[in-house]
Amino acid sequence: MDLALSPAQQLLQQSARTLLPRRCPPERVQALALDARGFDAELWKEIATLGWPGLLIAPQQGGSGGTVGDVVVLAEELGHACVPSPFIGSAVIATTALSAAGGRRAASLLPRLALGERICALAALEESGRLDPDAMGLRVEAPGRLTGRKLFVADAHAATDVIVLGGGAAGPTAVLLPMDRNGIEAHPLESMTGDKLFELSFRDVETRPDDVLGEPGAGFTLLAPAYRLGALARSAEMVGAAQRVLDLCLAHARVRRQGGRPIGGYQAVQHACADMFRDVESARWLVWESAWKLEAARPDAPAAVAAAKVYAADAALRVARRGHQVMGAIGYCEEHPLHLLHKRILAGSLDAGDATLHLDAVARSIGLS
Amino acid sequence: MDFGRSADEQAFADEVRAFLRAHPPATFPADGTDAGYGSGAHSRAFLGALGERGWISLSWPREHGGQARPMAYRLVLLEELAAAGAPFGPLPGCLQVADSIIRHGSETLRREILPRVARGEATFWQGYSEPGAGSDLLALETRARLEGEQWILDGRKIWSSHAGVATYGTVLARTDPASGRQRGLTMLMVSNRLPGMEVRPIRSLTGEVYHYEVFMDSVRVPRDWVMGKPGEGFAQLLHGLDTDRFWGRYYKAPFLQRILALLVEYANTTPRDGGVPAGDASVRRRLAHAATEVAALRALFHRAAWLIERGMPATGPVSAAKLMADELGQRVLSLGMELLGPYGVLRAGSRWARLRGEIEHQYQTSWGHTLAGGTSEIQRTTIAVRALDLPAEPRVRG
Repeated sequence: MDLALSPAQQLLQQSARTLLPRRCPPERVQALALDARGFDAELWKEIATLGWPGLLIAPQQGGSGGTVGDVVVLAEELGHACVPSPFIGSAVIATTALSAAGGRRAASLLPRLALGERICALAALEESGRLDPDAMGLRVEAPGRLTGRKLFVADAHAATDVIVLGGGAAGPTAVLLPMDRNGIEAHPLESMTGDKLFELSFRDVETRPDDVLGEPGAGFTLLAPAYRLGALARSAEMVGAAQRVLDLCLAHARVRRQGGRPIGGYQAVQHACADMFRDVESARWLVWESAWKLEAARPDAPAAVAAAKVYAADAALRVARRGHQVMGAIGYCEEHPLHLLHKRILAGSLDAGDATLHLDAVARSIGLS
Repeated sequence: MDFGRSADEQAFADEVRAFLRAHPPATFPADGTDAGYGSGAHSRAFLGALGERGWISLSWPREHGGQARPMAYRLVLLEELAAAGAPFGPLPGCLQVADSIIRHGSETLRREILPRVARGEATFWQGYSEPGAGSDLLALETRARLEGEQWILDGRKIWSSHAGVATYGTVLARTDPASGRQRGLTMLMVSNRLPGMEVRPIRSLTGEVYHYEVFMDSVRVPRDWVMGKPGEGFAQLLHGLDTDRFWGRYYKAPFLQRILALLVEYANTTPRDGGVPAGDASVRRRLAHAATEVAALRALFHRAAWLIERGMPATGPVSAAKLMADELGQRVLSLGMELLGPYGVLRAGSRWARLRGEIEHQYQTSWGHTLAGGTSEIQRTTIAVRALDLPAEPRVRG
């Protein structure tokens, strides 16, 4: 057992802790949440300079060939600073799918993703809101024409490319399309979480044989491991955001005085903070354990990630709710960062598979018939 | 990071499993009740068998007769024993006291007691709580004064687990009558056989005896049967409490995994409503949900273990793990009751009891866990004040 960050991970953590609070303080997060475009291209460039978008890309394709643990380190710091960025969607989920797919199109896109020049979104969900590969309304044939829509597409405003999962004659099929191909339109969905979500409409969009990622019919096989890594990254992001809520509450409880002494001296507040600490720590180490299993490609890794996603969401949402209670009315103000963290946690809990989906995987893993 | 066992640790785990297969836990007679933490019943015979294999002294330094194996081996041993439901009740206490003797004990204590611990012959009770000193432990009134080469010990301790079947106790007593609160306390080691000791059982709500009350009337304790230095009992206690809470709960995650596995089997095989409970989405999700929490508990204990092994501050994670273990334990056992329905309340041995009546027993013991070793409220206050740097609540002088 070795629960220390590697020297490389310590450096990664350090550079994130130097850059993010300075470049993306709460006022900036708030401004981005309120802004219709809501994408900080300058920050993304700085992030790209540090090589983060290429973390999971092989060195021969211009990336740094990082590890699952590296993703956990960064996602936790992005959550702690509550940075809105396409990191998890593009640099984790889409990148993993493209790397697994191989082929000419992926090979030409990956080096540019690594440089941060291009950003890749993922369009999979439809009206049901559930990722059901056997019930895709959108039909994908290549060569062919694509007509229909996808919902809850994150980062479509910043993306240059999009992976679209649809039903095909051979089964679920994924295609990689440039966002500027004729007939693709992004319509913003008004979301309370500050995430930029879109409805992506496709009107008679041309699909070519070389748009297909992997084999026709293998789209879901391709995306499932990518989603799994995305679920892990979202879990780490929730842990980071929950840690920040705890940090804010502790700082507040030490100085806010009522009844002649700091509120952190009252047991009611102390016990709330202790529960938050328990939730953050237990979630953090479960996430790390599942990251270790995923990296070691252990057979129990998929169920471990599913369990970590469910638990991290439960724990982080509990922390957010207790945080509002400790912080009091000041935490209800728009200018206070608490709601941004709460909303980031909420968004993470619903993305990359919600509790219902992951609990089904856990149920099977514990032997329920 | 690496959460796994090394090849040598896994080989040791296999050795423990082979021992348990060759010597099924049920074949060892119990001489004390199962308190439900996952360490099973109190069985001297089982402890003796562990001693024969050198597993009690596994991690002790060689000069004290140990094998100097890293702490990880001890964790492996406890996990494997708990997963098998073995009756190793007194073992965690033995490990804890032996560590203290090795670190802080006098030469006499090392010579007299360690070999007996290693053989599985010595077991221990803790003399901390008193009728008037529970969560406010420093209000204790047990006193000892030095008379020549002996301490004269007078007082009364309560809620001491297994004191009636143990051989020794560690007793926290005030040795400087002029001192107050945390100063002037001394941790004494007493033999149950000393004249003046009287140990009375307290029957608990399970119907069994787990706790005892210990009366000490002018008990003469040899001068060097002291842990640490006289007057430094509070430091002993504080150091001990973190590690007590750790070693007293570490195996609760594998224990709860074992209970969950029983519930899963029950849900898979019990006919209900024309199917089995496992076919019910709500049952599935609640069991799966509990499994995620048990997994998180296990990870938190591993974190605490890693800190303890490196001698790093672990109060926060240890108290959080203890708190979580005991509250989660209650939830898991309550879920078991709900799943078993009317069968849940039937006692072990009853004709219609399901799952050998284990849920019934562990459901009841779980109520005591959030009290023992510091209540959940004390754990939360400990986390807040000692780990999160929040100001202590002012003490009212009375």
